[in-house]
Formats: sequence, C-alpha cells, structure tokens
Amino acid sequence: MRRIESQIDTNAPDFKANHAAMSERLKEFHARQHATRFERPQRDIDRLARQDKLGVRERLKLLLDPGTPFLEFSTLAACREYDGAVPGAAVVTGIGIVQGREVAIHANDASVKGGAWYPHTVKKIVRLLDVALENRLPVIHICDSAGGFLPLQHGVFPDRYLGGRVFRNQVKLSQANIPQIAVVGGHCTAGGAYVPTLSDYNIIIEGTGAIFLGGPPLVKAATGEEVGVQELGGAVMHTSVSGTGDYRAATEQHAFSLAREIVSQWKRTPKTIIETATFEEPYYDPKELYGIIPKDRKTQFDMREVLARIVDGSRFHEYQPDYGTTMICGFAHIWGYKVGILANNGVLFNDSSLKAAHFMQLCNQNRTPLVFFQNITGYMVGREYEERGIAKDGAKMLMAQGGSVVPKFTVIANASYGAGNYGMCGRAWDARTLFMWPQAEIGVMGADQAANTMADVKIRQLQREGKELTEEEIAAIRDPVLEKFRQDVEAYTSTSELWDDGILDPADTRNALGMSISASLNAPIDDPHYGIFRL
Amino acid sequence: MRRIYQIDGEETECWLSHDGRSMILNTPDGAIPCQLDATEAPGGYTLRVRGRTYDMRVAVGPDATFVHLNGRTFAIGRVDPAERLAGNDGGAVDDRIVAPMPGVVVSVNAKAGDQVKEGQPLLVIESMKLETSLTAPRDGVIAEIPFAAGDSFGLKATLAQLAPQEE
Repeated sequence: MRRIESQIDTNAPDFKANHAAMSERLKEFHARQHATRFERPQRDIDRLARQDKLGVRERLKLLLDPGTPFLEFSTLAACREYDGAVPGAAVVTGIGIVQGREVAIHANDASVKGGAWYPHTVKKIVRLLDVALENRLPVIHICDSAGGFLPLQHGVFPDRYLGGRVFRNQVKLSQANIPQIAVVGGHCTAGGAYVPTLSDYNIIIEGTGAIFLGGPPLVKAATGEEVGVQELGGAVMHTSVSGTGDYRAATEQHAFSLAREIVSQWKRTPKTIIETATFEEPYYDPKELYGIIPKDRKTQFDMREVLARIVDGSRFHEYQPDYGTTMICGFAHIWGYKVGILANNGVLFNDSSLKAAHFMQLCNQNRTPLVFFQNITGYMVGREYEERGIAKDGAKMLMAQGGSVVPKFTVIANASYGAGNYGMCGRAWDARTLFMWPQAEIGVMGADQAANTMADVKIRQLQREGKELTEEEIAAIRDPVLEKFRQDVEAYTSTSELWDDGILDPADTRNALGMSISASLNAPIDDPHYGIFRL
Repeated sequence: MRRIYQIDGEETECWLSHDGRSMILNTPDGAIPCQLDATEAPGGYTLRVRGRTYDMRVAVGPDATFVHLNGRTFAIGRVDPAERLAGNDGGAVDDRIVAPMPGVVVSVNAKAGDQVKEGQPLLVIESMKLETSLTAPRDGVIAEIPFAAGDSFGLKATLAQLAPQEE
C-alpha cells in the first residue's frame, strides 16, 4: 500500500498558528480531564479513608494488567450538568485488559456524592453495557454506590433507558453467554443490589461491602426492626447464609486478586478473524495533527493529511480517487487491522453519496470494519441537486451505512452538522465507539445559522407587530441566542451529554481506534444484508 | 510484473522465484539461479551465484536496505509500481478554476496579470458553511478573475482563468 505524500509545511505560518491554537485547547482539555479523574474535595478523600476504602482509580490499578492500556469512556460526562459538581458522572467506565483479556469495566466513584446514580451516571453505565453487548465483552462491575440520587429520581428511574436498563442489559449479557463479575466494595442498596446478584460471580469485601434491598434505616422505618449493616447484608451473612454472595474477600487487594483468578479460568472464545498486516507506526508524526486542524472551524482542510497521521505507515489505498472527490474512501490498516475509511473532504454531493454507499457495500462484502472521519457541514442543497435526487442518494448512503454488518467506528474530527452526521455514522447509527476532537462541533446546523434563523423569526414577528428595530435591538435579540448556540454545539456539551464516548487528544485517536477495533472482534460479523435502496 | 528496485539511484526490475531446487532471480537479462545462506555474523550472508561465492552484510532500514559487498555499500530501495507507473496523473491541467458548487466569494488574493505559482491561493469561496481556498492549478499568469469579494456565483462558473501556456 502506498504512503500518502504529505503536502504540509510544518514551518508555514498557518501550521504554526493552528498548532498554537490546538495546543491551547488541549492544555485546557488535559487539565479538565485530570481534575475530573483525580481532584476531589479533601472531605471526600477523608471520608473514603475513614471508611477504609480505596479510591476508584486505585481499584482499577489492582484489577487491570499492569502496563496495559485502559480505554476510558466519557471521562468528562456531566461536565456541564449539576453545576459541574458530579465529575465523570460519578462512575468510571471503559475497556481494559485483565489476565490478557479485554473486559468492559463499570466502576462507581464513591469519592463523588458517595457514588450516587445521577441521570448521567445511568446513561454512562447503560452505554457501557451496550458496548459490552455489541462487542461481547465480559463485564466487571465495581460496586460502591449510595443508590439513585433521590432529588432527581425521575431522571434516574422510570424510562426505557434509565435505571432498569442497567439490569435489563445484565440479563441480556447473561443470556448471550457473556460473563460478569461484581466486586462489592461498598453498599449495594435497593436496585443497586441487582448488579451483584445478576452477575455470574460476585465478591464481597468484608467490613465495607454489603448488599440489601433496604438498608438499616429503611428497615427500621418500615417494620421497626433494628439491625446492623453486617447482619443485614454483610459479606459473612451473604456468602455463608443467603447464598447471595459467592466469595468473601478479606481486603480490597484480596477481592481483586479473586476477580483476576475468576477471569483467568474463563473459556477463551476465539476472536473474529479479519485481514491484518504487520503493525507499523504512522510515517508522519500524529502530533502534526495539531497544526493541520484549522483554528477556524470553517476553513476547509485535506482529510488525507489527517489520515496520514493516524493509519499504519501512513499508507492508504484510495478507492475511486477521481470520483465524488468530497468523499474520500479507501483502505488502510490501524494497529495492523485492515479497515475501510470514509472521510469527508467537503460537502456531500450526489456522486460522493453514491461512492460512499458503494464503498460501504464493498467493505461489508469482504468483512472490513468501517472507520468514519467526520468533517461534514451537510448534503448539498439547491435546485440543481434536488433535481439530481440528492435526497434519495443520501437515503442510499444511509441504507448502506445503517445496514452495515461490519463494526463501525466514528471520529468527529471537525464539523458534524445535520444529516451529514447521520450519513457518516453519528451517535444514532451504532458506531461501536464514537469519539470527538476538542474543537469539533455538532448540531442540526452551525451556531451562526441557527442563531440567525431563530433571531430572524423573532425580528419578523416584531416587525409584523409594527415595531421598527434598531441595529442595537437586533443585536440584543441575536447575541444571547448566538452565545447559547455556540455553547450547545461544543464538544464539551456533547461529551457532557454522552452523545459521544469521550473527547480525544487528536494524537491519541490512533490508539483509541486500535483498541476499539480489537475489542469489536470479540463479536462475530454477520452476513451482509440490507433494506431497499431507492435507486 | 517484476518488482522495481532502485540500486544506488539506478532502477532495475527483478522477481525472486523458486524452481523446486534453488532460488531464481528473474531479471530483464534472464533468469539467474542463486542461493543465499545466513552466516553467524549479525546481518551476514553468503551468496552463491554463477559458481562464485560472495560474503555480504545486510542492514534493513525503513526506506532502504543496505548491502555491503566486495568492499562497497549499495543502498537498495523498493519502488512502488503503482506510483512509478502512474505517470503525471491525467496529463495537462485545466487553465480554469471552475466552481465546484454554488457559493459566495469571500476574498480574492490575485488579479489579472499576476504571475502565480502552482498551489498559490487565488481566492476563497464560501458555500454550505465551509470556506474553501482555491489554488492555481499550475505556474502561470492570471488572465481573469471575474468575481469580487461578496459576489455570488453558480455551479461550474469560471472563477479564475490562467493565460494559455506558450509552447
């Protein structure tokens, strides 16, 4: 496969200006990520110490194979909710390596509100369990939660994808013969009691771990019975009397060594075999991406320059290089895995949509996973394009994309607007993982367009009522709307709401994709089949 | 198709095959039976060809393989045939820059009579929330840029024209 010849001049003023802007953004991003992971008020740290419990990051260290990667999902979930007081939505999720096996991990962070389930906590856990189901990954739950956050119970409990879905997904995992372990390192109360009890294996840490449907205060209120935590649901009672618990651990260290031993004796199912090549680092330095991504989001850039800094050896076999040129299609390897890449190089026209649909069928036919790099402002509009059937060509692209049976992965590299987001495997389209770059934006339309549209409606309404507006009055209507929209389309909003699996430093994209592809091969790939293409 | 190698700057084609008894190096000048055996020295090999024996050392780099033989070092690079045989991608370039889609001109960075270099930005257009910089398709002189900043244009409108190239 041929190497992409980069046209980038790393000494050019544009490159340097872009590099400076991206470095600034990344400084903020890494600081926020660090704070979310490690910075807590002293009283919360003291409380954990008093309870003789380890923090969630130390627990992960005990569980995971040393020196192996941990692909953490949605680190900044809920960063724009609850006044920023629930970092990471009080839960850590991701894919890690235990005894050489890829496992999905769901770990409550008891240093945040006692590990309580907020609406975004539930969303994050359900997403992780969906990842486990889609990729057939065993799950390890590390339970330490105060239970549902009562003041927001309607956002935690009743709907289809809320609390119940956690347990429903556990049932589906079990049904699909995907094993689960729960390490109970705190209280599992009420609904929370079902996480360990629906797991095939559970381990309760003596002294700190407990499982009960109603805790001591609730029991007292309900029946008047006075009973202590240990008698009601402690490790000894559950592992020797009720059979609710499987293993009793003397310490946290003991608990995680047991968990690792359980994983080591699971049957190994062979992974799906796809085409591979010898692993090769990119020829061009991935850190050069900082200077390639324009500091002004509206500026067009060549996505091949991006691919050259992500794929193995910077090698890319481009398919139909001279047709539908705003859509780059081609084959490359990431971590040695062969993938089909679809990357936007401009607006989607009729020909670019058809090319994408055709290429996706090709990849499905030969079982090549798909990777989407989004920088899409939409499908082309206008009479000429409608007459040529842009809507039905877009539909063909959606039919091919949505009907794909191969694993799909999405990177929102810059713009993700309107139906372009759909065609390019946005969140609704079951990408196995979907990541965003820090400067990227997502919305039905750009902030400026949205604000102008909203403001124009308002202004015309006032004009109909006979009001003449001055420039200042118009600005007073438009500016606050614009400000709100600018925030709404930002990557931080997306990641706060879990519309993605996390924001990535662009230089980390290659590894995040490599790990995602590797994990996806735990699930088989179906035979290709589609719905009806509107030809 | 034989592989293309560059040995000390000179291109040569060959293909290694096996006839069941020994390795055969197929070159444009015919097939040469040969045998290569590793020695105990790091990167060391013994090459037997046409009744003679040569001692050689081989070092493999990312872009070339270096062979030390008879007191000389040869740099051998592999030439990608698809790249080598592609020609100049389509031959003559168009003198015109044609609008890839309808839009508005944001800025014009050159005027008629200007000498421009290939790849030099001539004008920036905006369409579908995206600013695209259009660059000179080759070195030359601008004949005409018919639009000014703020003007709208339709699909396939000529946005810039270079003076015809003199033979």
